[in-house]
Amino acid sequence: MASDAAATADTFPKLLIRNARLYGARPSMRHKDLGIWQTWTWKEVEELVRAYATGLSRLGLKRGETIAIVGSNRPKLYWSVMAAQMLGAVPVPVYADAVADELSFVLAHADVRFAAVEDQEQIDKIQSVLDRLPKLELMFYDETRGLRDYDHAKLRAMDDVIADGRQALAADPKLRDWLDAEIAAGKGSDPSIILYTSGTTGASKGVVLSGERSIRAATDTVKFDKLTENDVALAYLPLAWVGDHYLNYAQGLVAGFCTACPENAETAMFDLREIGPSFYFAPPRTLEVLLTRMMIRMEDASPLKRKLFHYFLGVARQYGERILNKQAVPLKGRLLYWLGNVLVYAPLKNVLGLSRVRVAYTAGEAIGPDLFAFYRSIGLNLKQLYGQTEAFLYVTAQPDGAIYSDTVGPACPNVDIRIAENGEVLFKSPGMFIGYFKDAAKTAEVTTPDGYVMTGDAGYFDEKTGHLKIIDRAKDVGRLNDGTMFPPKYIENKLKFFPDIREAVAYGDKRDFVTVMLNIDLTAVSSWAERNNVSYGSYQELAGHPLVYAMMEKHVAEVNSAMAADKMLAGNQIKRFLILHKELDADDGELTRTQKVRRGFVADRYKPLIDALYSGAREADISTEVTFEDGRKGTLAARVRIADVQPVAVSGNLGKAA
Amino acid sequence: MRAPDGPPVTSGDVLLSIDNVSLSFGGVKAISGVSFDIRKGEIRAIIGPNGAGKTSMLNIINGFYHPQQGIITFKGEARSKMRPHDAADGGIARTFQNVALFRGMSALDNIMAGRTLKMKRNMFWQMLRIGPALAEEVEHRHRVEEIIDFLKIQEIRRTPVSRLPYGLQKRVELGRALAMEPELLLLDEPMAGMNIEEKEDMSRFILDVNEHYGTTIALIEHDMGVVMDLSDRVVVLDHGIKIADGTPQEVKSNQAVIDAYLGVAH
Repeated sequence: MASDAAATADTFPKLLIRNARLYGARPSMRHKDLGIWQTWTWKEVEELVRAYATGLSRLGLKRGETIAIVGSNRPKLYWSVMAAQMLGAVPVPVYADAVADELSFVLAHADVRFAAVEDQEQIDKIQSVLDRLPKLELMFYDETRGLRDYDHAKLRAMDDVIADGRQALAADPKLRDWLDAEIAAGKGSDPSIILYTSGTTGASKGVVLSGERSIRAATDTVKFDKLTENDVALAYLPLAWVGDHYLNYAQGLVAGFCTACPENAETAMFDLREIGPSFYFAPPRTLEVLLTRMMIRMEDASPLKRKLFHYFLGVARQYGERILNKQAVPLKGRLLYWLGNVLVYAPLKNVLGLSRVRVAYTAGEAIGPDLFAFYRSIGLNLKQLYGQTEAFLYVTAQPDGAIYSDTVGPACPNVDIRIAENGEVLFKSPGMFIGYFKDAAKTAEVTTPDGYVMTGDAGYFDEKTGHLKIIDRAKDVGRLNDGTMFPPKYIENKLKFFPDIREAVAYGDKRDFVTVMLNIDLTAVSSWAERNNVSYGSYQELAGHPLVYAMMEKHVAEVNSAMAADKMLAGNQIKRFLILHKELDADDGELTRTQKVRRGFVADRYKPLIDALYSGAREADISTEVTFEDGRKGTLAARVRIADVQPVAVSGNLGKAA
Repeated sequence: MRAPDGPPVTSGDVLLSIDNVSLSFGGVKAISGVSFDIRKGEIRAIIGPNGAGKTSMLNIINGFYHPQQGIITFKGEARSKMRPHDAADGGIARTFQNVALFRGMSALDNIMAGRTLKMKRNMFWQMLRIGPALAEEVEHRHRVEEIIDFLKIQEIRRTPVSRLPYGLQKRVELGRALAMEPELLLLDEPMAGMNIEEKEDMSRFILDVNEHYGTTIALIEHDMGVVMDLSDRVVVLDHGIKIADGTPQEVKSNQAVIDAYLGVAH
């Protein structure tokens, strides 16, 4: 049984051997190559990885050393991880799209002597920074294309390394015993992998995870979601991301399920359909793209199909989630839903490749309630989880049947969560990291004396459900003058879930009440304007249109009433807002290159507007410098109207009127 | 690679030579007395202003036009005119200035069409699709999949080409030409109408084809930057006459070329 894993094996190589014994003839890995799905069974993978490990050892890889893994989701890269672990070496996966600078930072920081890379592109990248990597001795490549004329002093084909290992194993029977001894010598407490954080919040840090803890965490969630050797997952998320290592590698080895690698990044959607995974993970962004694409295609369908589609989506909205949650639904609803499933939902899921999905997760950022509800209503068991690299992914996850779009669920099995004074979420979990690589000071900084890890995220347990709600980064959470916790991003996200709001910036820290500046979404609002005969000459004019203001006021009021229902956040109702006369732009420094608002910079730049938001003025003048695409600069002056919103009375028995 | 009839040609040898070729349509002289050669393994560019006779030149090479005068020597065999099937059998493949694909067919089927000449079983067998015909198709499909992998177009394998953006259609067309496993590949403005990124991609594919398959390439191109970066040697035509021939450097500094492109002050 898969759940015995923790008892019998405390490192991944030991699990591999166990799987080869238990599920020898079952598929372990699939990869589409030259248009055909190739399959390797657990037995074959074991032999392959043994040969690979032997080959690596003959090239000098030793216990405790690090080896970089650079590339996309390909079987040989996963096997590089396994082979390294078999020798007690520590794999260090690096994001395939990292630029040369980031790559050289990680490779140098992790002291790698060897690197297993996907192809010419990655080799070129590493070679361009070779002078910063004096310790790097050899690179192993999977894809031979374009490398024939390269100087092979520092290069080897993975196939050659594996072939060499296989030959050596065949020639010397004692070598196999030696390898068995190496596997047995691996301790569960040894570092199993180092995952570098992406570095969005400062310099990239190497998170060291141990085999024993990783396996314990994966065993818990495998049980939680009842994953077995019959499940299938498509590995299409970055290899270096904790999610891929957890969901596909660790859970795959613990449960013994099959991991399928797509042909390439662009074909993932098609491969999904061909593989029909039973376990699926997608970040909210991907789900949104899927939905948009589907809706656009539906617009081109025949009127009959379109009508059917929209009618049954309505049925799904009404009954779908309740059916999925196994709640009471009237017979009419069940019948209609059944018909809808035959006519619309099942074919739809089939096209998306989600027909066989039993468990699907989303995480990474807040997901819009409508988007979340859509997938659940058509019968996809989509759930949210919350976690981070330091926890080896899972901190909380939503259990089947208790799903709320704005919470991330209760603590996972064996995970202990505590909320600190300042609202920060702390946790202690089976999979938690050993420490940051070569950075004891940083490790101490994020660990409490009693062994909890600080997530840096602020959150609280929802009163009604007892589930955790994550609201913002802890350092961004402020306080209103009356002491109410003010999480700007939470408010902004709630606003941004409306398709016609592109960006929102909330203010309230050390103020009496909350105000926001909005950016309309030009695509959505202009198409609305077209349908409603609203004429406008420019973005600025559209943004200032009274009807647009009225529409935004409705959205703000909706957000207010949502917040009024929540005791913790009721004080954060938005009292005043304005619509900015220009789009926030990375060229003007208002957004980061990853399209995140630089709140402080925006506050300085639009100080007159913020002052007006709090002074009670009805409008304010602003003049800003803008940078055009060709680099020229100009000035944009505008008079911006400020709208007041009537706060919603706080519901329930709180007895506090706003 | 299949070595078609004729003695083997080694790298650096002349693969094809055009000797004093002239072509006219009625009274219009498209090409007059042009001679040049294409060596095995090189990337040879044919450039010139509009109406210089570049496409006519390609059409002569692959036997679509028959010159009134001159000798074409391909792999040591001299002819006064090429015929299209001679060209195809002899290992010459081409792409067109305006994409010429089977629009309703998928990218895969279009590239598969490039294998037609290599199929040995007759139509009857292919329709039955059993035994040897099936084995043959599997073999050809394998080759086609290698090309799809090479050109990185896996995600559009099943897409009808009419739905593809222009840059990808061009790539499919290149794929179809490659499926013929040509010795000489003629590319008529492979980068016309592309944006910079598409141009860079296409340039890389052209270089890869040349390196990986060892294919000799003759290309017509308007983008001077691309020509200078890609090609080993350049021949310049103007009003049907050869005005220069040499390395990109030599051609760039040639006064006649500068005059032809920029005009001469009279």
